[in-house]
Amino acid sequence: MAYLLNWILWMPVLGILGLFVIPGQSKGAIRYWSLLNTAITFVLTIILYMNFNTEVAGMQSQFDIRIPWISQFNIYYALSVDGISLPMIILSGLLFFLCILSSWTIEKAVKSYFILFLLLEASVMGVFMAMDFFLFYLFWEIMLIPMFFLIGIWGGENREYAAIKFFLYTFFGSIIMLIGIVALYNLSGKGIDSFNIVALAGGHFRDLTLNIFGYDLPFNKFFFVAMFIGFAIKVPIFPFHTWLPHAHVQAPTAVSVILAGVLLKMGTYGFLRIAYPIFPSASVYFGEAIAWLGLINVIYGAMCAMAQDDMKKLIAYSSVSHMGFVMLGLAAMTVQGMNGAVLQMFNHGTSTAMMFLLVGILYERSHHRWIVKPDGSRGFGGLYTQLPRYSIVFIIAMFASMGLPGLSGFISEALIFLGIYEKFTTITVMALFGLLIGAAYLLWMFKRMFFGEVNEAVTGYSDMNWRELSYMIPLCVAVVVFGIYPAPVLDVMRASVGKLVVMLSLY
Amino acid sequence: MDYTVGDIAPIVLLPFFAFVLNSFIVKPFTKSAVAISVLAIFGSFIYSLRIFSDFIFNVHSADYHVHKYFNWFDLSYADLVFKVDLGVYLDNMTAVMLLMVSGVATLIHVFSTFYMKEDARFGRFFVYLSLFSAAMLGLVLADNLLLFFCFWEIMGFCSYSLIGFYYEKEEAGDASLKAFMTTRVGDVFFLFGILGIWSVVGSVNLVDIYAGIDAGVFDGVTALTIPLATLTAGAIFMGTIGKSAQFPLQVWLPDAMMGPTPCSALIHAATMVAAGVYLSLRMYPLMVAGELTTFIAYIGAITAFGAATLALVQTDIKAVLAYSTISQLGYMVLGIGVGAYNASFMHLITHAVFKACLFLAAGSVIHSLHDHHTDSHVQEMPRMGGLRHKMPYTFIAMVACTLAIAGIPLFSGFVSKDRILGDALLAAIHDPSYIPVAALGFIAALLTAFYMFRMIFLTFFGQPRDKELYDHTHTEHLSWNQNVPLLILTLFTLGIFFSGSISGQGLVKVFPSKGYEWFNTLIAKPKLEKFKYYTKQAWSEPHQSKVSDYTPTLYDPSHGMDQEAAHHVHHVHMIGAILSIIIAFSGVFLAYLFYHRRRFDPAWWATTFAGWYRSLLNKYHFDDFYIKGVIGKVLLPVNAFLGWIDLGIYDRFFVDGWKQVNTLFYKAARVFDDLMIDRISVDGVGSSVKLFNVVLRTVQSGKIQFYFIMIFLVLAGYVWTL
Repeated sequence: MAYLLNWILWMPVLGILGLFVIPGQSKGAIRYWSLLNTAITFVLTIILYMNFNTEVAGMQSQFDIRIPWISQFNIYYALSVDGISLPMIILSGLLFFLCILSSWTIEKAVKSYFILFLLLEASVMGVFMAMDFFLFYLFWEIMLIPMFFLIGIWGGENREYAAIKFFLYTFFGSIIMLIGIVALYNLSGKGIDSFNIVALAGGHFRDLTLNIFGYDLPFNKFFFVAMFIGFAIKVPIFPFHTWLPHAHVQAPTAVSVILAGVLLKMGTYGFLRIAYPIFPSASVYFGEAIAWLGLINVIYGAMCAMAQDDMKKLIAYSSVSHMGFVMLGLAAMTVQGMNGAVLQMFNHGTSTAMMFLLVGILYERSHHRWIVKPDGSRGFGGLYTQLPRYSIVFIIAMFASMGLPGLSGFISEALIFLGIYEKFTTITVMALFGLLIGAAYLLWMFKRMFFGEVNEAVTGYSDMNWRELSYMIPLCVAVVVFGIYPAPVLDVMRASVGKLVVMLSLY
Repeated sequence: MDYTVGDIAPIVLLPFFAFVLNSFIVKPFTKSAVAISVLAIFGSFIYSLRIFSDFIFNVHSADYHVHKYFNWFDLSYADLVFKVDLGVYLDNMTAVMLLMVSGVATLIHVFSTFYMKEDARFGRFFVYLSLFSAAMLGLVLADNLLLFFCFWEIMGFCSYSLIGFYYEKEEAGDASLKAFMTTRVGDVFFLFGILGIWSVVGSVNLVDIYAGIDAGVFDGVTALTIPLATLTAGAIFMGTIGKSAQFPLQVWLPDAMMGPTPCSALIHAATMVAAGVYLSLRMYPLMVAGELTTFIAYIGAITAFGAATLALVQTDIKAVLAYSTISQLGYMVLGIGVGAYNASFMHLITHAVFKACLFLAAGSVIHSLHDHHTDSHVQEMPRMGGLRHKMPYTFIAMVACTLAIAGIPLFSGFVSKDRILGDALLAAIHDPSYIPVAALGFIAALLTAFYMFRMIFLTFFGQPRDKELYDHTHTEHLSWNQNVPLLILTLFTLGIFFSGSISGQGLVKVFPSKGYEWFNTLIAKPKLEKFKYYTKQAWSEPHQSKVSDYTPTLYDPSHGMDQEAAHHVHHVHMIGAILSIIIAFSGVFLAYLFYHRRRFDPAWWATTFAGWYRSLLNKYHFDDFYIKGVIGKVLLPVNAFLGWIDLGIYDRFFVDGWKQVNTLFYKAARVFDDLMIDRISVDGVGSSVKLFNVVLRTVQSGKIQFYFIMIFLVLAGYVWTL
């Protein structure tokens, strides 16, 4: 068990090594090998879950691995998990596995695609496991490389613009974060724990001030903001969100799924893992500001979503809106709100993955994504009659996304609202209207695409095949099961989140 | 008397399992698989009947309730405690409600096997019907508002799916979207109410809320500068407004008639729309604590009256029934507002029975009238007429139910509606601000009798107006799944099942025995003071039915009033009853003059009062206001504007603009590079070296005299500086 995290982290790398050996023209072998590889990784994450002790509250404290790496700078190869990272690791394991199935139709440079995809998986796993700040940053940056190429090579018409935009945006955030990392390293005495995330936590830098151009700035607030911008770009929080619609629209289906399902969560994960524990007093200080930004995300994202004529853009903006709920939960800093936020990270991962996969399935048939074409005519119509199975899965995904009770989104949103009400009542009232608009844009899209007589363009479409069902059904099950019985996920995170809430409540 | 999990849970779980099972059954078996749904709901009915009979035969004390729960999830860590429990709360009201819901649902399931049998999506219809039944029964049993909200939303989903059942039609899509979004407006407020209550009570359990109100936890608490009790009561009442289609959110219910008729009967007449009223009844103590009752009474009165006027001009038989549903729901809400708790709930039950029956009868009519030219069923009353000869059973059922809804004595509608009106009159006498409420209530009663009998006369009497359609209609034979459910429901439109006296006010006692007054015995406003003595129990714990500190009260027919006050109330109720009888009969008589004897010509009225007529046809322009105004003129343009700002302005100029800034920078840098660094610095170094060379070259001329002069000058300078 001790090396379980190593196995999860390096399994995709093993897969890459295998792919190097397989010749590029045997596409079948490449696909099955990648599928097998991600399946093993997913099974390993399940084993991790089964061996996880839900009573241990410490941050990143189970299955530790800690080996000196660059000893001159006290940089360690340090991995471990806790209740906040475990749901994300399982979510990543599941989504990467399903995305390989959905990438079956990729025909362009298959070998490179899967190599980059597995590299992406390794780096994502690394981010969620790293306990050394330097290692965290390393994985955070590595992740950009496969993403850049996956969007830039396999993307849509405007892929290069989107890839560069995504890269520059994220890289800008990373640089700001790097300054923070270096500052922390220096201030904590360059000692053995200077890159240790656990040791840095707890508000050691509360009273430090920073002299910039002759002004004394409180160190923790200054670097909280620096970290905040770094993570905010990833979430994305208004006004750093505009890379998202471009990246989503241009990215191939599987990459969109990973982007929305996993990569966005790395932003909020960064708050929970880095920004909150290391700068608790600044977090509390900026709590209300974060709540307002979250509110803007919720409302503004939903309203922008309503204005979109492109299905994928609409769902991209809905992610902006839903991640706003996560930010609201984080801003609440109450036990309900924080648990709700982590649960929402998980639930949004499954529901938004469903939405993007469904868009991809339809796109393979239609080669366009217009709800309403630029000339004003309907892009689709009567899909309900033409694609009955697809429609049912779409309904499940859509209602999960808008938070229908009995499906997963509701519990996390309800918890977030319960958490935030106590702190910011006005914001709660306004955020509730996000729920209203959230239902409106999805149902309106559904109405325009699925109801009515079968549109001429739609008549040739075939319903979902078995391969497509094979990756939709697990997500349907997850969405229904965690909607009715969320306790398995909540039990995992309860202690870790609780400890963080207690720690924040001291400031 | 104790109930175990096995006694209560199947009521919800049977239809739920039927839903799960039926959703996985594929095409060739779907027709026979609907038997699962029918049997499941019948099973729920049997379990409900057993519980109900325990209550009605006084097995329990008057204050008896069962409250059991299990933990759903627990987020507690160290001393931070946060648990969410789910459970059932079973008291007198629940028992009555359970019987009504499962009974009506069973009959509608049976009727649906007739009505939907030619439909290609027969199986799917029952999938939704089973899920809906499970959700509605779950809602009735829910012990806390969060669970209540969950079932409430699931019902909304079923309603959405069934309204959009004929998804080939564009209008079905519009109607389902409108229904879901309009009720969602109310739901969002409802959720806010839940949050508000949770913040002071610490849970949203019914028992905890009652005990909390009794203990005064709401006193002096404000949120958003409004007293919290008023705020939460208002928020929760908004949920009622949305779900029960009250003014100003009534617009969705008439459109909801796009769904199959049995679903209109079950969801949009008998149960789901009544759930809104049920919520307000459950939260009645909060409504009182929030001083919201006057507001509620006005909303109810406006709805009852407004919808009744709209029903006057409808030509679609289902539309008439839809508006009458809105109007009757308005009566229930009005009843809550004037404190007629018992009567309001009774009207909920009686209305559910006769309105379900009316819809099924209308369904029967629609199903029989098949237009061969367009291959569609006919719902327009102008094409009907004289159908009583062809459809005798449906005719009997429909007339009985119409008598009930019109408030004719001996029928159930009279018993309940009269008591609401009696209490409204009482309220108006005591407080003049209630006078408009009572007045609107009585006028709406007149309109109700009128438009309902208009429907009867247009449909069943006179000469057939579409002779070809009439001739094609088969004469009805008694069939178990078409007429029997109707006739069973018809039986329960008799007032005797709800009250031993004709009116329920004890005016004319038909059966003097107290046993017939079961409704009054069972249903009374919750006594708040008792709830602090109760402790909730986990499913595994043994039941404690008696709590030692509290002695249950026995039924008190005078509701704690002294002799004189009771006499006064009785007096007012008597006046109310006589008034409503006169009004009901005059409504029927007017309809008779208008639509049977043709003494007055409706067309003349329509042309003479053309302005009024048009605004009635346009539903008082509510749809125009919401869809063209609020959505079309405000929401969508604002969204489109924001969407354009986001990518067209913000992203293009402020984000991508950095590229321009960068380019500028880079150009500036190049200029700088060229000019300053290259020309001046780098080239400058060169030229300065050149200059130096020139200087040096001149200096190092090799002339010894020049050296001496230089040395002298340097020395002189040095000395001078000293």
